[in-house]
Amino acid sequence: MGSAKGKTIVKGMGFCASAIGANVCSVDVDEEQDRILRIRPFHFDEKYGEDHFNAWKIEARGHTFEPGYKVVSGPLSYGYKKRVYSKNRIPYPMKRVDWDPAGERNPQNRGKSKYVRISWDEAAQTIAEEIKRIHDEYGPLSILVQGDGHGETKFVHGTHGCQTRMLGLIGDYTLQARQPDSWEGWYWGAKHIWGMDPLGQQNMQNNVIKDISENGDAVLFWGCDPETTPWGWGGMMASRLCFWFTEIGVKQIHISPDVNYTNAVHADKWIPVLPNTDAALQLAIAYVWLSEGTFDREYLDTHSIGFDNFAYYVMGGEDGIPKTPKWAEKKCGVPSYTIKALARYWAKHAVSIAHCNGGSFIRSAFAHEPARLEVALLGMQALGKPGANQFKFIEWSLFGMESVTPMPPSVEIPNCGPAFRGRQYSVRPSLIPKTMIPEAITNPPVQWYGHIAAGLPREDQFVGPLTFPLEGQERIHMIWSDAPCWETCWNGGNEMQEALRHESIEFLLIQHPWMENDCLFADILLPINTKFEEEDIGTDSDNGMWSVVYYEQQAIEALGESKSDLEAVEEVAKKLERFGGIYEDLHARMMDGGKTVGDFIKAGFENTGASEKLSFEEFKEKQYYPFPTKEKWEDLPVGLSQFYEDPENHPLSTPSGKLEYYSTALADIFPDDEIRGPIPRWIEEGDGHEERIDSKRAIDYPFLIVSNHPRWRVHANCDDITWLREIQTCKVVGPDGYAYEPVWVNPIDAGKLGLKTGDVAKLYNERGGVLGGVIVSERIMPGAVYQDHGARVDTIVSGVGGLDRGGANNLIAPSATTSKNAHGEVTSGFLVNIEKVDVFQLAAQYPEAFGRAYDPASGVVVDEFIVEGN
Amino acid sequence: MGKVFVIDPAKCNGCRNCQIACKDEHCDNDWSPVALPQPDTGHFWIGVNETVRGSVPKVKVSYVVELCQHCGDAPCMKAAPDAVYRRDDGLVIVDPEKAKGKRELVEACPYGAIFWNEEYDVPQKCTGCAHLLDEGWTVPRCVDACPHDAIRFGDESEFADELGSAEFIAPERADADRPRVYYLNLPKRFVAGVVVDLESDEVVVGAQVTLENAETSELLQTETDEFGDFWFHQVDAALYNVYVEAEGYMTRMVKADATSKDCNAGPIDVFAAAE
Repeated sequence: MGSAKGKTIVKGMGFCASAIGANVCSVDVDEEQDRILRIRPFHFDEKYGEDHFNAWKIEARGHTFEPGYKVVSGPLSYGYKKRVYSKNRIPYPMKRVDWDPAGERNPQNRGKSKYVRISWDEAAQTIAEEIKRIHDEYGPLSILVQGDGHGETKFVHGTHGCQTRMLGLIGDYTLQARQPDSWEGWYWGAKHIWGMDPLGQQNMQNNVIKDISENGDAVLFWGCDPETTPWGWGGMMASRLCFWFTEIGVKQIHISPDVNYTNAVHADKWIPVLPNTDAALQLAIAYVWLSEGTFDREYLDTHSIGFDNFAYYVMGGEDGIPKTPKWAEKKCGVPSYTIKALARYWAKHAVSIAHCNGGSFIRSAFAHEPARLEVALLGMQALGKPGANQFKFIEWSLFGMESVTPMPPSVEIPNCGPAFRGRQYSVRPSLIPKTMIPEAITNPPVQWYGHIAAGLPREDQFVGPLTFPLEGQERIHMIWSDAPCWETCWNGGNEMQEALRHESIEFLLIQHPWMENDCLFADILLPINTKFEEEDIGTDSDNGMWSVVYYEQQAIEALGESKSDLEAVEEVAKKLERFGGIYEDLHARMMDGGKTVGDFIKAGFENTGASEKLSFEEFKEKQYYPFPTKEKWEDLPVGLSQFYEDPENHPLSTPSGKLEYYSTALADIFPDDEIRGPIPRWIEEGDGHEERIDSKRAIDYPFLIVSNHPRWRVHANCDDITWLREIQTCKVVGPDGYAYEPVWVNPIDAGKLGLKTGDVAKLYNERGGVLGGVIVSERIMPGAVYQDHGARVDTIVSGVGGLDRGGANNLIAPSATTSKNAHGEVTSGFLVNIEKVDVFQLAAQYPEAFGRAYDPASGVVVDEFIVEGN
Repeated sequence: MGKVFVIDPAKCNGCRNCQIACKDEHCDNDWSPVALPQPDTGHFWIGVNETVRGSVPKVKVSYVVELCQHCGDAPCMKAAPDAVYRRDDGLVIVDPEKAKGKRELVEACPYGAIFWNEEYDVPQKCTGCAHLLDEGWTVPRCVDACPHDAIRFGDESEFADELGSAEFIAPERADADRPRVYYLNLPKRFVAGVVVDLESDEVVVGAQVTLENAETSELLQTETDEFGDFWFHQVDAALYNVYVEAEGYMTRMVKADATSKDCNAGPIDVFAAAE
């Protein structure tokens, strides 16, 4: 042997993309054979002594919590070798067989036709000619860039939006504006009660973990799964904190329709609530407190405005309906005696609320209401008092903010910004909200409010209406995407399938490492590297231990003919230069005057404080620099304690500086908005949504779906990792040998419907259907069904009313946004029905779809879509 | 003494890092002479036995990590003494060359820890990552990848003070096989419920709940918490009587069958006593 160890390098295996690194890992490489040996936990103390770290320690109730030196990420990171060597990698540039830029383009065949191999030279030349033609015929804003979203986190090489650096130099482009998808309800709702820019979640979280450890009685995990969501960008510290709470006796109360993976092992109490009915539960809690006088009136007098308006609504003054526990029970499925018990418990104890983003709580119709109501409740129990804050188990350094970590912070959140060559701007003059793309393609003009970029201040929601196309400009005729997962990650994917086939789209260019989801609609496909095939720099400030900047050596040579996202764009730039004029010298210009990858890495390093501690050469040799714990971190003010103690001098960022139970801004600017009104309320239906169990549609579609962040994927990433797919909660192998996306059904519902574990069932509504493999389980409450989102689309029938074998339930999510003036996605908590299907009968009915080349271990493989190539 | 594994399901979050790290180490990697490559799927040299317990709303999931027991008196060694050997550190290794064709080894293991590799025509199992230990690693991949020390590995003496209460995954075989994988906190049963006065629509806080083992008459007691809930964790598999006593209420008894699975005794409705 002798070579078992290999050469060790460092890679960030987080999936946030966009230069927000995480999940630092050690990678062992067999250099001789040019292959990855293993991906494993990173040990901080490998090259630095313990005296370097100023290690933090939390001591409470006779117990001690320490970081240790091993950074443990999740199985998505450690199984990633299978993603690198996936059978589904796009091997070389390809062109859709019936797309002829000089003749018939056959847009109607996107998603159906197969591909032929072409050379990089031909691909880049064709792309350059198309861009030039589009520029001349329609103008540059007719090119839509889809260059956002998650995926591998790279700096120099993207991942997303490298094309913006080039297109921005030749007349600009129309940007797919990424709405705050991780924070929808908080962003569109909670901001109007407590400010908290940029996300709407509590942005002052310092020392909240220490505070709860010392002063907290309970944490409410409200639709929150620290054993799943942080795996993509944070790792296992969140899990460790749950064990810590158990160790010191902090009660963990889970409120959600499902026994998520945290509830499964850590919960002291589970309160099942029907999907997207949290608002009813919350209002009933307020009702109990108001009726029994068990809230902090004095605090509200000094810390809030408009509370009486809210109280009037809760007690039934506005609509004649007191929001009693009995009233709520019928809406939300929680017994009224449990609602009362929860309200009384909360009133007596120091209670914080924890979140991880995503799920039904925050991605459903009218999600701004439960998000606002949560803050309303926290306020009634003196938000900011010891043991009573809102905090998050992830995103502990988001946007470089030092205040968003509840953990002991490091001296620095390293920022390698100068190395980043991905998406240049989050807002452009011409933009389309991501949630409105299908409509903007098929039926322009479209209008909305705000610039719809995650991270803008509250006031931006009032800007508008904005319009696409800009006055005098053309609609979209070309799309350049490096984020081809719209169908399976956004709202109403079946409509997107139709939009991508629309005759107005003359050219659809996609660059991606794997043949999946929207890729199947492309006219030209460019093969992209994984980060193991690239040299780069990275950071991880989200592990909860210490921030670290690391040098990412190239692990292996590029597989097939793949190039990095940046290199792919460079190829196009070089071809465009030949047109002269505005295109002259384009390649050097997009590389900031001809800089190299090495130059950008160095610039990234020099932008961090590490450059004051060691030279670039030393950094490359050691491969990382960890930033020690901040001195006197214990003295940072806890959470919102300063607002609690002195609201006048530590105001919130609302117009009044206080909690606004009545939002004057919403009242002034959207006086006619009955769905997102000045006070938070229970909304039954409206703005295109009839998704309640009392809705008429519920006669045909009686179940509410929970669609969480997936346990064994990051959104659409990693669905082809064979080692994950054989885990029993990852896929359910049907009688036809196909690995279906699981659907959890409670035994009571399964009994009524004649479903048993291992059956294949169809989840459907009038927007279409998706298949799933049934798991009859007590992990989901009756009346709800559970299927994670992000499964790889495997179309049986395309478009609205279609059918998908993969189980990508976003295809049948509503296309209407959160509400008419809140442009968030609605991808959970909507109505469906479920029924057993006979897969053999379906196979006879749809022989082509069921006859696709299929590898049960990894799913549908790229070979299926190639008609020529060698 | 030699090396042992110590596994604690109470510390397991079910992440499967151990299972994935094992595959990352052994699939596509040839560590001969210790092990040939593991097939990409279907083998679980280390795996997780996952069980959903209870019913809505008293539900838990238990995860029990399972792997080769590296038995001190290994049935596989008896079945094929030429093909299976024990290292000085106690790890039991199936020699990939000498075990070629010996499909019977799969059946020889009472723990289901030996798998058949069709491609190489060889039985395979956990090696304790002996190839890494021989290069200076102190623990196998599964242990390195565990976020919570739910799987530990080391000399038996390191764990001496904890092993007194340790159990074995198949206690009935322990004397014969002398397994080298110790378990702490193996899941037993729970009995739980909520005490409610449905007439007044209130949970009953502070009710005394007594759990009587119907066979042995052994008693356990607890009080309902502020949600009216009671939990008896880690009780034996048995039939139980649950007695609920609260001031102002008539005593109620319900049966709780925890013989074959955990028992959510459900809402126990109590009735006001006569004045």
